Parts: sequence; C-alpha cells; structure tokens
Amino acid sequence: MTTTEDALEPAPATDGSRMPGEADMWFFVFFESLLFTSYFCVYLYFRTQNEAAFLQAQSHLLPWLGVLDTIVLVTSSWVMARCVQLARAGRHHTAKRFALLTAGLGVVFLALKMVEWVRLIDAGETFTSNDFMQYYFFLTGIHAVHLLIAFVVLGILVYHPVRSATALAGDHRDVRDVLAHDRSLLGGHIRHALHREVT
Amino acid sequence: MKRPAWLDDPKRELWFAWYATVAFYSLYSVAFFIITRTQPPGKPWYGPDQVVGWFADRHSGLLVGFALIFVLGGFSATSIALITYSIRRMSVSRAFAYSYLILYAVSAVPGFLFICVAMTVGAMRPERSAELQQWLYDLGFLSFSGTMGVFLVGSLIWMAAILLDQNRVFPRWFAYLNLCNALTEVVIAPSWIFQRGVLAWNGEIAWWMDVVVFGIYTGVFIFLLRKMIRREDFGTGPLPDLPPRRPPHTRPAREAVTS
Repeated sequence: MTTTEDALEPAPATDGSRMPGEADMWFFVFFESLLFTSYFCVYLYFRTQNEAAFLQAQSHLLPWLGVLDTIVLVTSSWVMARCVQLARAGRHHTAKRFALLTAGLGVVFLALKMVEWVRLIDAGETFTSNDFMQYYFFLTGIHAVHLLIAFVVLGILVYHPVRSATALAGDHRDVRDVLAHDRSLLGGHIRHALHREVT
Repeated sequence: MKRPAWLDDPKRELWFAWYATVAFYSLYSVAFFIITRTQPPGKPWYGPDQVVGWFADRHSGLLVGFALIFVLGGFSATSIALITYSIRRMSVSRAFAYSYLILYAVSAVPGFLFICVAMTVGAMRPERSAELQQWLYDLGFLSFSGTMGVFLVGSLIWMAAILLDQNRVFPRWFAYLNLCNALTEVVIAPSWIFQRGVLAWNGEIAWWMDVVVFGIYTGVFIFLLRKMIRREDFGTGPLPDLPPRRPPHTRPAREAVTS
C-alpha cells in the first residue's frame, strides 16, 4: 500500500519549466510527428501537381462527419488533459474514470471512421480509386493504427498505474499527457489536411 | 612472448560478432546500391521489354554483386545473434529471444535471399522471353519489399522486451524507435496493390521514407549494441554503466610507455 501511496501522491506543481512525462516517450512523439509531417509534405506536393483531380475526389467526403470526428478528437484530448490534472491533484479515482472516458471517445472516433470508410467504399471510392483516396485511406488507416497503440498504452496505465509509474521511471500521469498530445497532434494534422478545405 | 591483450579479452567473441555485423551491413549496402543497383528499386510499371533493358543494363553487376551476397550473406546471422543475445541479457522471458531469433532466421529468406536468386536467374539468360524476365523482376522486388510483416513483428518483440526489461540493457527511447520502425514497415504493405504512386514498391512514402527510417534504425542499433558489449559484465543483473572516460592528463603517460 505504501508503494501505491508513494507512486500516486500528487506530483510537484509544474511551473512550466519542467518537461512533462518521460523524455523517451517524447522521442516517439517527435519522431512520429516528423514522419507524419513528411507524409503530408508528400501529399501536398502531389496535390499541387493535380489540384483539380484532388478537389474533385475530395468532394466525396462528408464535411459534417469530418467536423464530428474533429470534435470527438479534440474532446478526447481535453478529457485526457483533465485526467492528468486530476491525477496531479491526487484524485485518482476520478482520474481513472477520465482515462477510461478517453478510451471510450477513442472507440467512438474509430467507429465514426469505420462508418466513413464503409460509406466511401459503398459509393465505389476505394483505396485504389484515385490519388486522393489513396492518401485518404492510407493516412486515416495509419492514424487508426496509432489509435490502437494508444488503447494499449491507456490500458497499461489504467490497470497498472503503479507498475507503469515505476517501470516508466517517471510520472505516469504525465505519460498520459504526452499520449493525449500525440493523438491530438496526429489527428489534428489529418483533419487539417483532409477536411478543412472541404468545410 | 607476450600475448596480445585482446586475446584474453572475455568480450572478444562479442566483438567478432559486432565487427561482422558492421562488415555485413557495409557489404549489403555496397552490393545492393552500388554493384547490382537493385536499390533504389526498378520501376514497378515497367513493361516486359523495359524489364529486359533493365536486366541488360546491370548484367555483370547482378552476377558479381549477388555472388558476393551468396558467399558472405550468411554474416547476416551475426547481427541477429547479437540482438538475440541482447534480449537474453534482459530480465525478460527467453520466449522473446526465441521468437526474435526464429522470426529473423525465417525473414532472411523472403526479405533478402529471394531477390538475389530471382535477379541472378534473370541475369543468367538474357535471351529468355521478356514476360518471364518480368515475372522474375516482380518476384524479386515484391519479395524484398512486400514481406515486411515478419520484420515488423520482430521489431515489436524487441520493443516489448526493452520496455519490460529491468536490466537497463537498452534505453527506453530505443524501444519507441523500434515502434516507429515497425510502423513504417506497415506502410510498405500496399506495394502489393500499386504499380505506381507513392505507395508502390519504389514510392516516395513506401520506399524512400522507409529507407531513411530503416537506415537511422540500423545505425542506432549497431551503435547501441557496441555500447552494450562495452557495458557487459557477463552477470544476470542490471547492466552497469560505462566507466567514466579516462581523464586527458593520463594520456601522455600512456604514450610514453608505448613509444
């Protein structure tokens, strides 16, 4: 029990100078951000080569579904951030509920994505239909893979908070913070690139 | 007569394996990129006649370069062995090391030797029908690029082992680099579908970005394996840190002794 108390006692107040979370996890976030940025550079470059075709293909997406996706995504990031704040304040029970809520919103996001994919495929817009759809299915697909990783990490943090804390040799609440950042960052990238222009 | 110091170094076998690893990856790069010019890969959209031209262009290179691989390619085992050794040095179950070893032993065949066999067969009889040459060309590149799933799971096993390990064999950021590497290997899967574009086997995303990530990954793990060997104490507990560097003022004294 002592270990639990030790591991879960409120972290020192952050004054903004300390980097939250495990530095190693930030390495992952930055490396993946770099990769996604490169994917988008490639996408944008080829988009400029044939803008009309991209715009035409893009019109098959439903703007309101994109907006809904974005709202779910941003909300889940906010819930995660709230979870971190609660954990720092020592309210671990509520924090855990918020972590589960984040996972729930992740499931909602994934379900919405599947609705979107099925709708497009039914309409004959598939992975191989045209260049835009190739990027669309690739980017949203690889984002979904990241979402699955996030579920695994959330699961570890919710069910083994103490072990995670010792194993991560850091503050487990902050790792969630990093994770939330990762997801909103990646999601944000995709939303911006694929939906902003439609709306 | 005084024996050379390295002969009695308990780490000499590990260093043999490490230098063999460096030699293997150097040979690999030279054979694929310079001698055979099979990397960067040929165009997936080439028709039969263009493929015949492609083979004609590289005829001697293919035979010489892949002959080198057929003679020395077995050295690929050294890096896999060292990595498996690193997993055995961790506090995790042996199942991780066994899975890694088996996966990479298997993956060498489709991911590495198939392309060499297919391309050499193509180069051997340039007069063969163009359609058959194209078949070999597709087989070579698709087996090389399209079988990343085996490597991917291997990377994930290494990642899981590092994250669970309590012997501090590798830093945790390297576990995440394994994950990044695995994620870029997912991206190559569409090369089975596309004949052109960024996701084809020579595409900007499926090939160029992945090669950059794989290059970084390989460089990093060779460096980290070297560090592991330097830290190795042949025990079973946490791996000790490297001793602090020798202070600069002791160097002149050592030089005086050797001269």
